[in-house]
Amino acid sequence: MAQLTLEKLTKRFGTSIGVESLDLSVNEGELVALLGPSGCGKTTTLRMVAGFLPPTSGRVLFDREDVTQLPAYKRATGMVFQSYALFPHMSAADNVGFGLEMRGLNAAQRKTKIDEALKLVRLSHLADRLPRQLSGGQQQRVALARALVINPRIFLLDEPLSNLDAKLRAEVRLEIRALQQRLGLTTLMVTHDREEALTMADRLVVMDGGRVRQIGTPQQLYDSPVDAFVADFVGRCNILSGRRANEREFRTTGGLLLPTDVASSERDDADAFALRPERITVVAGETGEVRGRVQAITYMGAQTEYVVALGDETLVAVRPTPDAGEPLAALKPHDAVSLQWDRKVPRLVPQTSK
Amino acid sequence: MLFRFTGQLSFGQFAVRTLIAVAYAIIFAPVVMIVMTSFFAQEIVSFPPSGLSLKWYANALSKPEFLRGLVTSFQVALLATAIGVPLGTAAALAIVRGEFRGRQALSSFLLAPLAVPGVVAGSGLYMFYVLAEDLLDRDIKATTEGLVAAHTLLAIPWTVRLVVASLQGLDRAAEEAAANLGASPFTVFRRITLPMMRSGIVAAAMFSFIQSFENLDLSMLLVGPGRITLPVAMLNYLEFRIDPTLAAVATVQIALVGLLMVITDRFVKLSRVV
Amino acid sequence: MALLVVPACLLVLALLIGPMILMFRISLNQFSPTQLMVQALSPDNYIKAATDPYYQQIILATLGIALLCTLLTLILAFPAAYWLGRMESRWKSLVVIATLFPLLVGNVVRSAGWMALFARDGLVNTSLLKLGVISAPLEIMYTTKAVIIGIIAVVLPYMILTLSAVIESIPRDLEYAAANLGASGARVFWRVILPLSGPGVAAGSILVFVLCMNTYATAVLLGGPRFKMMAPAVYDQFVRGNNWPMGAALAFMLLAVTMAFTVFGSVAFARKYRTG
Repeated sequence: MAQLTLEKLTKRFGTSIGVESLDLSVNEGELVALLGPSGCGKTTTLRMVAGFLPPTSGRVLFDREDVTQLPAYKRATGMVFQSYALFPHMSAADNVGFGLEMRGLNAAQRKTKIDEALKLVRLSHLADRLPRQLSGGQQQRVALARALVINPRIFLLDEPLSNLDAKLRAEVRLEIRALQQRLGLTTLMVTHDREEALTMADRLVVMDGGRVRQIGTPQQLYDSPVDAFVADFVGRCNILSGRRANEREFRTTGGLLLPTDVASSERDDADAFALRPERITVVAGETGEVRGRVQAITYMGAQTEYVVALGDETLVAVRPTPDAGEPLAALKPHDAVSLQWDRKVPRLVPQTSK
Repeated sequence: MLFRFTGQLSFGQFAVRTLIAVAYAIIFAPVVMIVMTSFFAQEIVSFPPSGLSLKWYANALSKPEFLRGLVTSFQVALLATAIGVPLGTAAALAIVRGEFRGRQALSSFLLAPLAVPGVVAGSGLYMFYVLAEDLLDRDIKATTEGLVAAHTLLAIPWTVRLVVASLQGLDRAAEEAAANLGASPFTVFRRITLPMMRSGIVAAAMFSFIQSFENLDLSMLLVGPGRITLPVAMLNYLEFRIDPTLAAVATVQIALVGLLMVITDRFVKLSRVV
Repeated sequence: MALLVVPACLLVLALLIGPMILMFRISLNQFSPTQLMVQALSPDNYIKAATDPYYQQIILATLGIALLCTLLTLILAFPAAYWLGRMESRWKSLVVIATLFPLLVGNVVRSAGWMALFARDGLVNTSLLKLGVISAPLEIMYTTKAVIIGIIAVVLPYMILTLSAVIESIPRDLEYAAANLGASGARVFWRVILPLSGPGVAAGSILVFVLCMNTYATAVLLGGPRFKMMAPAVYDQFVRGNNWPMGAALAFMLLAVTMAFTVFGSVAFARKYRTG
């Protein structure tokens, strides 16, 4: 396994920006996820690492070797495609063996490695099936085995779970993560699914418009986003625009005063108040500092969502669903409530950090 | 991927690009050559070509066989299209929307004329016409009617093929919605189905017309004195010589086909038809 | 509803199927120089076509040229079809139409173009002379070479359009995946693209082979009066020899070969698509 380093990696398509001056390093055995909306440049980055797209400028390094000019077929990256890209005319075993064949291994050598790889993904019994005779989850595992069997220097995952149904997705997520950690694979993953990114990655790179917004551990990004875009993209977030009123309060454009702390902001240009719904406590009655009226209550099983109107603004709070008999259980739309939160929790951030 | 790796052109990529260039050169060379020949003063365009001139067009106009050929071809193509497209459209509608057995077989049957070589179909029709002439004691061969009948054999399969394709791509829900809103079956057809079939029908008309207009193989044996289509007239002329007068006539045909394609492309995306 | 197919079917029946049956019947008659046609029921014409060196040579030449042209067309068309199939720019539809255009212009016009190019003092010869590549004009007209080039020009668009449709349906990711696993451009082609283009290669080759077999204008105009292929030979039987039975027999053979290939092709694909 190698370390992956991207230096000022840039890709322009004509005049439009694909990726702009991206600096990133993925340490040996680390899983880094590129997260962002479609068109943010995450897939472009992955394709440049794989060698499918030549960068406009900048460098790609595996360990200290500059591979920027190396064609894709000489890079030894193992990639799992979003579509799996299994060869439809080859059996599962032949798919897995393809990369070995390209490396000049003879049939006997290949057989051993194929068996091993298929065993790793628990598909030994389906080795002779054609891709179309396999389920989506099985195809995904063949794709995984095919990428791993060549002992890739860098492991690349392109939205690997997006074609699986929700239940399978959670399972495979853990499986891939376990495999990645056990084999110590240096991994770059692309996803637009924040849950996937948060649960699988050691570090996240949030991208937008071809630029990096923030790099950090899932926790850093979730709790201390640098701007409203990251705050919103990494998880659900109440974002209200306005200005800091004083050291202990934020004034929204609607004139509402919200409790914060001076430590909530590292920047002077902060013009947004970001607060995650689950950090807000809802109390029935008009007892607290921040008072409003319930607009809607949505039952979501283990949790319940409260949309609360505070003058012209609204805040969303998510709480564990109360047991019958608790005061909150009796809450109805139009009832008066108070909202509370730890004043150190809200982040005051710029709308965008560009 | 096959062509574009990073770095410089490899030998393989060079070979591949050369083959593409050669292929398109072969496709376009004769057409370009004909157009060029018609506009240069030289008898045969040599290197370097010289002397732009329109005299060959005037010359072509003075040759009655070409003018008559043009008129005959135009007549035949127009009539064959006018007969073949409605018949083919009706058949296509029945094949896609009908609920009777053997529709697949019928469709293959109606496409059969495309699979029969033109010379073969032409020979068969030739013998058929000659024998029928003896029986009926009237001319069929070398008449406009005889040629039109033969050329409907080109219009019908093309129409069936293109209109069936356009109908199969239609969403029946729009028709059901119209019926649900109170439209009678006839109104549904007139207001919904027919407009949705339009692109298929326009494409069918264009292909039918062009196939008929440029047809040689099927028509060769069915023409006669006074009723010679343009391609046959050109072939007869070419068996003796190639000269700029002929090139001028051919350029007229090229321009006509091109014009038709441009007009049709405004109604249907030709690149999606084929 | 079913009645709507009747007029079209009657037309095809009367103008195609009827004449084909008539043709087959006539092919069993016999030719006499004085009476032209004598009623008979004999396979003599077919036997003659198969054994007489004159006809044998025509049939073999036709098959040979068709085979060679199909192969050359396949090789020449594949890169262009790949290029077209993978094209993503807005020019794509223009290229498709441009590929289609010469097809619709007609074979006579295109043959005329080749005649002008290949003539003794035509563009090819005069250019080569000026460049000093040759010292005396080449004889290209009325050679097999000229016919082969002419035929390839006619059938290339069919092959390119058929192949590009199939190549377009091969997901691009498969090529990336193969490259990712270490396959160079050539190996991506041999191991992934070519096997997956199988149906297109077969369909295109059958279509093109049949078209080559039936070449008329190109053979007559570029091959000259002494160059013989099946279609011109059929025509000659009717026009020059007035020999209906022999003409009918030759035409029927041409039809049989064409149909055999077409039907074989469609059956083979039907099976392929069913299991696939």
